[in-house]
Amino acid sequence: MTRPPARRRTELGLIILVVFLTGGLYALAGFGKAGNLPANIGPFLVAIFVLLLVAHMAMRHSAPLADPILLPVAGLLNGIGYVFIARLSHHEARLQAFWTALGVAAFVATLVVVRRARDLERYRYTFAFVGIGLLLLPLLPGIGEDINGARLWIHLGAFNFQPGEIAKLSLAIFFASVMVERADLLSRGTRRVGRFLVLDPRYLAPILAAWGLSLVIFLAENDLGSSFLFFALFIGMVWVATGRAYYLGLGAGLFAFGSFLALKVIGHTKGRVEAWLDPWTHANTTGYQIIQGWFAIAGGGMWGVGPGQSSSGSIPEASTDLIFAVIANELGLVGAAALLAGYLLMVGTGLRVAVRCDRPFDKLLAAGLSLVLGVQTFVIVGGVTRLIPLTGITLPFVSYGGSSLVANYILLALLLRISHDTEQPAVAPAELVSVAA
Amino acid sequence: MNRQIRVLGIGLIILFLALFVQLNYVQIVHAKALASNPLNGRAIVAEYTAKRGSILSADGVTLASSAPSGDQFKYLRTYPAGALFEQVTGFFSFTYGSDGAERSYDKVLTGKKSPFKLPTSLSGLKNLLTNTDQSQSITLTVRDDLQKAAQAGLAGRTGSVVALDPRTGAILALYSNPSFDPNLLSGHDLSQVQANYKSLTSQPGGVLDPPAYRQTWPPGSSFKIVTSGSVYDHQSPLATKTYPTLAALPLPQTTTQLHNFGGEVCGGQLLELFTVSCDTGFGQIGLDLGATSLYDEAHAFGFDQTPPLDLPFAVRSIFPTPASFAQALPTLAYSAIGQEDVQASALQMALVGAGVANRGTIMAPHVLDHVTNSQNQVVSTYQPSKWLQATSPDTASQLTQLMTSVVSSPDGTGTAAAIPGVQVAGKTGTAQTGTGKIDAWFVAFAPATNPQIAVAVVLPDQPGANEYQGGTLAAPIAKTIIQTYLANHPATPLS
Repeated sequence: MTRPPARRRTELGLIILVVFLTGGLYALAGFGKAGNLPANIGPFLVAIFVLLLVAHMAMRHSAPLADPILLPVAGLLNGIGYVFIARLSHHEARLQAFWTALGVAAFVATLVVVRRARDLERYRYTFAFVGIGLLLLPLLPGIGEDINGARLWIHLGAFNFQPGEIAKLSLAIFFASVMVERADLLSRGTRRVGRFLVLDPRYLAPILAAWGLSLVIFLAENDLGSSFLFFALFIGMVWVATGRAYYLGLGAGLFAFGSFLALKVIGHTKGRVEAWLDPWTHANTTGYQIIQGWFAIAGGGMWGVGPGQSSSGSIPEASTDLIFAVIANELGLVGAAALLAGYLLMVGTGLRVAVRCDRPFDKLLAAGLSLVLGVQTFVIVGGVTRLIPLTGITLPFVSYGGSSLVANYILLALLLRISHDTEQPAVAPAELVSVAA
Repeated sequence: MNRQIRVLGIGLIILFLALFVQLNYVQIVHAKALASNPLNGRAIVAEYTAKRGSILSADGVTLASSAPSGDQFKYLRTYPAGALFEQVTGFFSFTYGSDGAERSYDKVLTGKKSPFKLPTSLSGLKNLLTNTDQSQSITLTVRDDLQKAAQAGLAGRTGSVVALDPRTGAILALYSNPSFDPNLLSGHDLSQVQANYKSLTSQPGGVLDPPAYRQTWPPGSSFKIVTSGSVYDHQSPLATKTYPTLAALPLPQTTTQLHNFGGEVCGGQLLELFTVSCDTGFGQIGLDLGATSLYDEAHAFGFDQTPPLDLPFAVRSIFPTPASFAQALPTLAYSAIGQEDVQASALQMALVGAGVANRGTIMAPHVLDHVTNSQNQVVSTYQPSKWLQATSPDTASQLTQLMTSVVSSPDGTGTAAAIPGVQVAGKTGTAQTGTGKIDAWFVAFAPATNPQIAVAVVLPDQPGANEYQGGTLAAPIAKTIIQTYLANHPATPLS
């Protein structure tokens, strides 16, 4: 490989642009908050440039033909997130910098280790067990930890980790491989009941079991956002694999039933829904978070109050669940819409990768990973803007939180790996030349 | 699978469009309603945490200043002068808002009033980005030495003192008892502030409202300045009419009589009636003048109008409308001597004195002198303006003669205000408030021929016995104010 493909040069150009954008935002936030340039603006610029450059070099080495847009957009979102976290808490900013480095390391490792996406197919049951195991971890006494009524953390030494984030990826891989293999069986009835051919429950069993178990675990851990995300991922992937609309109908029915059950059983859920429907009568309790988020977003108006200039003191969970409210406050509708456009660009690019794929597994996995990114963004932004009930879930690449960041960098690496595989000619270049001649 | 993936893409685009629409709703359509929601503390916090300039007295004493507090409120507002200047500076509280100059000059102090300009320099650009140092300081016309003289003069008694420069309307002193320390409300320990507020509001009379410009009392005989003005302006022959010497004046439409305070007997021409503050004489003058002439004069002097003071919520002083006297002529006699339904603030009576002193013109009362920016450069200076043409220069000079006689004539009621070497013009007031209590007033200006300062002093609810008490209780306070001012401020000739 003497000359890098044009798309890698595009990527490098975009990365340099991202460094300037993020650096500019960091400087503005410093001015807005303290009236001067942040003291560490130099090291900051060097750090993001080096981190993105490392990721870029790994791309050149391991996935030179992959899409050039995904990595810079992810870097931009990560950078914007860091600026706002740094503006809210120095302590969290230091940790987030560490996690970003770890995320980039995981990104590089994924690209290097996973030489071909289809190799993952072989380890489908390993991924299933790892996924379920990770989900179970927080329930173990000793290392599990309750934060804000949800038991979805484990702490190892000084670090908190949310294994559910990684579990999502494991299970997405498992679903993709199983569904691709059984797509025909899942889309056509094979067992005759009276006049109808119905699905053979034998083929559905492993998937339903995995799905049901993980759902129960999520609910046991009180993690509604992840439950919904996981559910949407599962239904979406089955539907993409089979093209059968009744899976969507079945999904809607199951969702309604699950919601009803959750409302009855989990007090946490009822409070969330009440706070969503009428936050004003619960203004000082369950509705406090959503109301403060709304006030912050509304205060931003069209152009925002300016980076670093908001009074964020009243927003709870400002750096994690409600970071979008802080961004919408300081950057206004214009900045918030731009952020959404960034996510849409990533999701769209991921789906484009899926469409261009030839191998069904790669296709389904790429679609599933893109869906995770899109739905997760929708769930948290929709929750913060009160379009849907607010559930605690991270805004990908932006929120403070190590496990989320690492998982999303792995997700990104998998998408890029699939993208590279797709662009790789199926036949050896020499043969291609001879055919052309 | 490609069809499904495309549909999935469209579905996600629809979800994101829904987010965008919702953002528009929250940030644009519904934003105003949310901003004004009483639960929304963002505007209050933003306002409260903005850097504020200092407030200084005319003689250079720091009255209010902000220091970085290192907590969520960023700056702690402190009032080194404590209760002495509270009624002028007001207070600045997170929970209870603000009052006084802190309120009326809020946007000046934070610099929010300066119009938006595109930055032309690097520091201008920095200010635009940081929004930090636009704060401005204000220097007031109120003087520390006079505030202290007023406080000492009242000696703990309930009462108000207002002094102003009649030529400009600049307020030189504005002090009342009771007062309170504004630091009690500006602290950042919100539960402590709440407790302080509760104990302040539980005091009788409501200590939070500055009495000097928000409370009114019957002005009593000090209102005879206005009644005499009406004589000169509307029916000048009455000035030389000799009124009978009486102890009590028979009133129309009733069998009751208007008695002189303490059973005194008096009468004569206007100068004589004014000098000894003869109630029977002025009661008859009121009846002779008629309601319209009296009301018009009172209105011209600022009654039934809100003074354009640059402090919030200045009270309107009351003189009843002419129509209200039609079936109640006795009340007209009482109104002519500042009783019944006539109500005046200390500020209003100081303005009456100032109007006479300034050849009939009442200047708009104000406490602001000038504004300086953070580099200590003067940004703007208050331009004095005329509020009312109360009367003609001729009438004003006639009234000055009457008022001079009150202080300098041996039988005058205001001899306690006499200052050797300075001609003081004044008028006492002793309003009977029933139950044996009186409101003691003194309205004065000096020097009579070249007025530098006008003062009104009121001591409400004093145990009362005779017409001289306005002179004995209130006049000495006015005297010390005038003396202090003239000693520190040698008289300058009229330009």
